[in-house]
Amino acid sequence: MTEAATETRDPPVLEISGLTKTFGDRIVLDGVSLSVARGQTVCLLGPSGSGKSTLLRCVNWLETPDQGAIYLSGERMGIRKGGVVPMGNGELARLRMRMGTVFQHFNLWPHMSVLQNIIEAPIHVQKRRRDEVIAEAEALLENVGLSDKRDAFPSRLSGGQKQRVGIARALAMKPELLLFDEPTSALDPELVGEVIAVMKTLSQGGSTMLVVTHEMGFARETADKVVLMDAGRIVEEGEPEVFFGRPKTERARQFLQRYVSA
Amino acid sequence: MTFNAFLSLLHGAGVTVSVSMAGIALGVPFGLVLALLRWRRVPLLAPLTTVYVSLLRSTPAVTLCLLIFFALPVIGIEIDALSAAIATLALNTAAFNCEIWRSGLTSFPREQVEAARTFGMSGTLIFRRIIFPQLWRTCLPALVNEMTLLIKSSTAIAVIGVAEITRAAIRIGAQTYDPLPPMLVATGIYVVLVLVFVGIQRLTERLYGQAGGAR
Amino acid sequence: MIRDVSLIWQNADRLLDGLTNTVILSLVGATLALVFGALVAIALMASNRAVRLTSRGLVDLMRCVPFLMLVYLVYYGLPRLGLRFDSWTAGLVAIVIYNTAYMAEIIRGIWSRLERETIEAGIAFGFHGWKLVARIVMPQIFLAAAPMIGNQLIQIIKDTAFLTIIAVPELTHAANSIQAQYFIPFATFLSAVLLYWALCMVVELGVFVVERIAEKRR
Ligand SMILES: Nc1ncnc2c1ncn2[C@@H]1O[C@H](COP(=O)(O)OP(=O)(O)O)[C@@H](O)[C@H]1O
Ligand SMILES: [Mg+2]
Repeated sequence: MTEAATETRDPPVLEISGLTKTFGDRIVLDGVSLSVARGQTVCLLGPSGSGKSTLLRCVNWLETPDQGAIYLSGERMGIRKGGVVPMGNGELARLRMRMGTVFQHFNLWPHMSVLQNIIEAPIHVQKRRRDEVIAEAEALLENVGLSDKRDAFPSRLSGGQKQRVGIARALAMKPELLLFDEPTSALDPELVGEVIAVMKTLSQGGSTMLVVTHEMGFARETADKVVLMDAGRIVEEGEPEVFFGRPKTERARQFLQRYVSA
Repeated sequence: MTFNAFLSLLHGAGVTVSVSMAGIALGVPFGLVLALLRWRRVPLLAPLTTVYVSLLRSTPAVTLCLLIFFALPVIGIEIDALSAAIATLALNTAAFNCEIWRSGLTSFPREQVEAARTFGMSGTLIFRRIIFPQLWRTCLPALVNEMTLLIKSSTAIAVIGVAEITRAAIRIGAQTYDPLPPMLVATGIYVVLVLVFVGIQRLTERLYGQAGGAR
Repeated sequence: MIRDVSLIWQNADRLLDGLTNTVILSLVGATLALVFGALVAIALMASNRAVRLTSRGLVDLMRCVPFLMLVYLVYYGLPRLGLRFDSWTAGLVAIVIYNTAYMAEIIRGIWSRLERETIEAGIAFGFHGWKLVARIVMPQIFLAAAPMIGNQLIQIIKDTAFLTIIAVPELTHAANSIQAQYFIPFATFLSAVLLYWALCMVVELGVFVVERIAEKRR
């Protein structure tokens, strides 16, 4: 998949360059640069508090970075052409709806049924035809194995089911880029597998994904590239065989020792 | 608006405050009695109290005031407007106070009562020495909140001709053919009154912690 | 006593007319107040400081004023400024203005406690501005606010009784005119009280039903 991406002259789906973000006097992101090519799955690893969530939130412009730039398929995120004037909410929304986000705590809308959660944004943000969206949503539910939960409300679902709805909701946007922020961290161990299985299928199906995760097995088997963050910086990145087999930095070795025990 | 007009508004404010205070002075203890009847599940009286609270909570103060003022004489109880006004406010606020006291009672820690019992204290002694000294503190913020609401609903007594603030304002407006100034002054007086009560409520909340209101 | 009851029965249509007015005033008033209250709540939550402080001041002021005072201001005061209403409309206007402040405060209270995450999910999926509020924020607020809105509706029903003072033909007014004609105050006002009671029971039942619906959606 990596070769396929380099052959084309398309810009990468996501290009982050020199991103810096501070909260008060605390530097949370310190010059992060990263790119995700079309069809790639990039796994973002790192200890808690290293800035992974903040990075994803910046990509969505839920946080405004202090410095640096984010490009979605070559289009600058958050700043208008000319590079100075910040975008209004409407312009941001047009870029945001080209990405799909899967949250650690699912963040499903509790007042809507499973189906309504999935079709809500495609109909009301992307203004697509209702019947067409519903048909797709039903197909997506089939894919994540939740056809029977179509009319249930989120509060009645298990964590794993909620997260699969979360993934279907993101996919219904037909996004150029899928963002996952620790999608299995809030799940009971026995429910992790069902979500990981769905994500693997997506990755193999050619989706472009940036995944924050602690599931080393998933990263090793599925990722095209693994990136390790620590204290707001990228300390090592590379192909999974290299990263897991022959890490170049001492920090990566320490990290792997802690997280890949058995 | 003349100085005299202003004085009669102040007099109206005096009536509002004193009638309200009388209503509170009667309604708060009466509410506690009702709450105790329900809390101790006194036969016959407890269910009656439940009905009383439900009925009074959905009866407008205006309607209650008319009922008391016009109906009591029919069954042989002569009552003047001022007494009817005080009775209205007391009966009305007692229903809400009952709910406040009751929620304080039901959330009172059982262990303390059980501990007192192991020392051989009687039921009334436990209430007087253990429960009540803590209960009134937890209930006070909600009770003061209810007092603020009572001040606002006390305007209902104007319907039987008691010269409280709003009625004084209307009368001055009718005499001078200029209703707006006395009304604005009356509104100002109310704002001051309510702010005083809100201030007291904040103070009690800071001193004794928060408790939910019943309305 | 039997004579009282039969007189009430003969005049039941007058009581029912009064009850109808009370119901219409309360429901229309509450609905409009809820709509305006939602708009004011948006102002209370606005990021613009001037908007926020102005709306906060107005809402707090309104909550200091007794309802009857506002009724007088609308009915006797506004004509001085060239706005003249008949007593029924003045009553409705007063109900709406007064309760807009209370509804706004109810909505703001729940809004500020609403979980930030589901709103952020809305933003991440491209919702913004009005659509975000109408489709993601408000439905969650209304489901959570149902009991408090029900309480406020009961308060409104009771407040409509004040309107007898400006001669709006609502329930208490009807009762008062019947008792003045036949001198049967006990039976008439008691009938009125029981009707208010029934009305509030219906509201509480409605809240119970909404609660059941809301329960699985939170
Ligand atoms: N809104 C915020 N305000 C202040 N500090 C924040 C905020 N969000 C995140 N942080 C801080 O930024 C650091 C990185 O957080 P985060 O991006 O959530 O890390 P990770 O997802 O890698 O665990 C943490 O120290 C966190 O406390
Ligand atoms: Mg995180």
